[in-house]
Amino acid sequence: MSGVAQQRLQQERKAWRKDHPFGFVAKPRTLPDGSVDMLHWDCRIPGKANTIWEGGVYPLELKFSSDYPSNPPIAMVCLSIINPDQGWRPSVTVKQILMGISELLNNPNNSDPAQTYGYEVFRKDKAKYARLVKEQARKYSDEKYSTL
Amino acid sequence: MKEKIKSAKVLCVGAGGIGCELLKTLVLSGFEDIELIDMDTIETSNLNRQFLFRRKHVGESKAKVAADSVRAFRPNAKIVAHQGNVKESKFDKEFFQKFLLVLNGLDNVEARRHVNRLCLSAGIPLIESGTEGYLGQVTVHYRLKNAAGEATHVTECFECAPKQSRNKTYPVCTIRNTPDKPIHCIVWAKELLFARLFGRPDQVTDLDENKNKEGEGDGKEEGPSVFLRQDGESADAYAARIFKRVFTEDIENVLKMEDLWKNRDPPTPLRLDSILGQSSSAASDTHGAASNGTAAAHSNGGLQAAGDSACKALGLTDSHRVWNLRENAQVFLESIRQFLEGRPGEVGEAVFDKEDDLAVEFVTAASNLRAAAYGIPQQSLFNAKGIAGNIIHAIATTNAIVGGLIVIEAMKLLAGAPEHSKATFILKHITNPKMKRLLNAVSPGEPSPKCAACGTARLELVIDTHTTSLGQLIDKVLKKRLSLVEPTVRTDGGFEYEEGEGLDEDEVEANRGRLPLMLDALPGGGLGHGMTAHVEDQVQEFKVAIEITHKDDWDEEAHPEGFILGGSVPPSAPTANGDTSVAAGPSAPAAVSDGDDDDLIIVEAPTLAQQQRDAKGKQKRENEDEEAPRKRQRAVQQSDNVIELD
Repeated sequence: MSGVAQQRLQQERKAWRKDHPFGFVAKPRTLPDGSVDMLHWDCRIPGKANTIWEGGVYPLELKFSSDYPSNPPIAMVCLSIINPDQGWRPSVTVKQILMGISELLNNPNNSDPAQTYGYEVFRKDKAKYARLVKEQARKYSDEKYSTL
Repeated sequence: MKEKIKSAKVLCVGAGGIGCELLKTLVLSGFEDIELIDMDTIETSNLNRQFLFRRKHVGESKAKVAADSVRAFRPNAKIVAHQGNVKESKFDKEFFQKFLLVLNGLDNVEARRHVNRLCLSAGIPLIESGTEGYLGQVTVHYRLKNAAGEATHVTECFECAPKQSRNKTYPVCTIRNTPDKPIHCIVWAKELLFARLFGRPDQVTDLDENKNKEGEGDGKEEGPSVFLRQDGESADAYAARIFKRVFTEDIENVLKMEDLWKNRDPPTPLRLDSILGQSSSAASDTHGAASNGTAAAHSNGGLQAAGDSACKALGLTDSHRVWNLRENAQVFLESIRQFLEGRPGEVGEAVFDKEDDLAVEFVTAASNLRAAAYGIPQQSLFNAKGIAGNIIHAIATTNAIVGGLIVIEAMKLLAGAPEHSKATFILKHITNPKMKRLLNAVSPGEPSPKCAACGTARLELVIDTHTTSLGQLIDKVLKKRLSLVEPTVRTDGGFEYEEGEGLDEDEVEANRGRLPLMLDALPGGGLGHGMTAHVEDQVQEFKVAIEITHKDDWDEEAHPEGFILGGSVPPSAPTANGDTSVAAGPSAPAAVSDGDDDDLIIVEAPTLAQQQRDAKGKQKRENEDEEAPRKRQRAVQQSDNVIELD
């Protein structure tokens, strides 16, 4: 692995241990043989209080490449700060990414939707959207999702 | 000087494109004592530029044939060829120390890093090179010392400056919903569709998400098996169904996201039956499409489902011609069919390989169909293969220039003039019209104190790795001897131990469970002889790499602690600017830290200019980094020793 990527991820890990937002999780994945895959982080983002997302803890994978931090990690989320053509800067931290996604949950960017269905429901039927999100929140409040 | 060149023992790593040019220039310049390492065998595609090889050599060792070919015109040269991987343990520090200089002509970053680290550890200057199409560079890396062991000339090592990669990543939403360049379609075809149809089924790609995760209640639910072949479904029916799903239905779905198309041209769904030019009303989900169009003619041939090439079956022989829509559809269907029928064993675990004709044909056709739907220019098979495989065609002239530059830098070092060393970059275009220069030579950069390879303090630890547990290492060596408080220990194999602040209970537990393990039995390959432990502290600014040497006989009286720690132990105060190098080799492990700071080098913070020493300056231009233009300018100003080419 690239020395630079490795080093930066170690820094990120150290910084995260020193200080991270309450309820969030971000850690390199441990493989079955007990070794650690520094390029693959398992994260969890808690739904914000007083929003329809409250109660859920949402899992997210961050996949780093050996080009990190020249290139952003890959996550299944459309977010400008991890888009290499838009807001990505090598100085963006893991914490900023997760906080950004947390923010995006309750303020979806309608002009750049990722899913057809979610987008349609959100536009046409806010009540149904809220109901579906709350279902998700219930699903992700489950023990099996909230402990790794 | 002539004598110096004649007697200089040099190591060439790589006998490929650069290696052939380098070897030739070396011997013609008077070098006579050369060892050559290359693991590869000669392939037909090498012959256009690797001129030491002929057709009859195909399949033989590059190192051996290159050495033989050079001996034919320079019988006096003593050339030793090694066919092997430079990472093999026989090419260790002692092997490297036989040489005066190491010259790299490698084709991958991993091997370059490895040679860089060996050269650092052996204390041998490295001349490093690379080419990429018209671009190329030669850089010089060393830490020269005088007789008293004081560093006199120090440059950055190969790993000090981050290497700009040309592997770009693309945002998921662009790939999935709003492609606007051919590359977006190719990434989609290769990373999403190919992986979904032929790769491991548990590998969820973003394609599924369009439907699967949307929740229940609308009767829209689909199993994850949409992209898998149904029981009893013919290969042709499957191919037609996939076509309909990805080029018709998925496009229709994306069109429903109206906001996406406010400022973009919306895509047009493709219809298989109209593309194939037959208005069969049966061309829906099932066998209807199979009897449609010319694909059926071939599928009935049966014997042609060889699984090697859809183009062959369809008679599309010109790889430079862009196929029309109908041909793309035919190749798409036929390549799926050949995959299913010709290589049933691979379906479910295939990985895209640019040398696999059928895979490249599939990706070309699929990306062109998507491009057609989105109104994006389509690509010939040849171009699509180049893009999908990240292929940049090698240019013999660039290799020759680089080979010559390596020899020039080697001569400067032999002449004892390291102050004249240059890092030289071959540019593709004349960037400064006044100067008319294609070679940009700059002074070598200064080492980065943060460099993982050369900036970290190194220690040598002799210990019994069979009987010492991780817990003992941490207590006796890290905490007691090195005064760490909350150590983190990592190995190159991926083992990690952490303690102290910011860990969850389960993490604390898992880490505690690792303490009784013996060093050589740690997960990820252990921490045995010759391995390195990377140690830092969660609360201190402390970082050190500890090279492990195993020893099993211990004289308790001589070494009551049961370990020997060699090298200069860094002060426990912040060492951000300190750069300690280790004098102790394996033969002198007794050189315990005794305040001997002779080999302590203080280096300054790296300059901005250092970061631009990267041949791929062109990427920088596209980079969002606003500082890039300034850096480039700086580099041009520094080019005081430039060779004019026209």
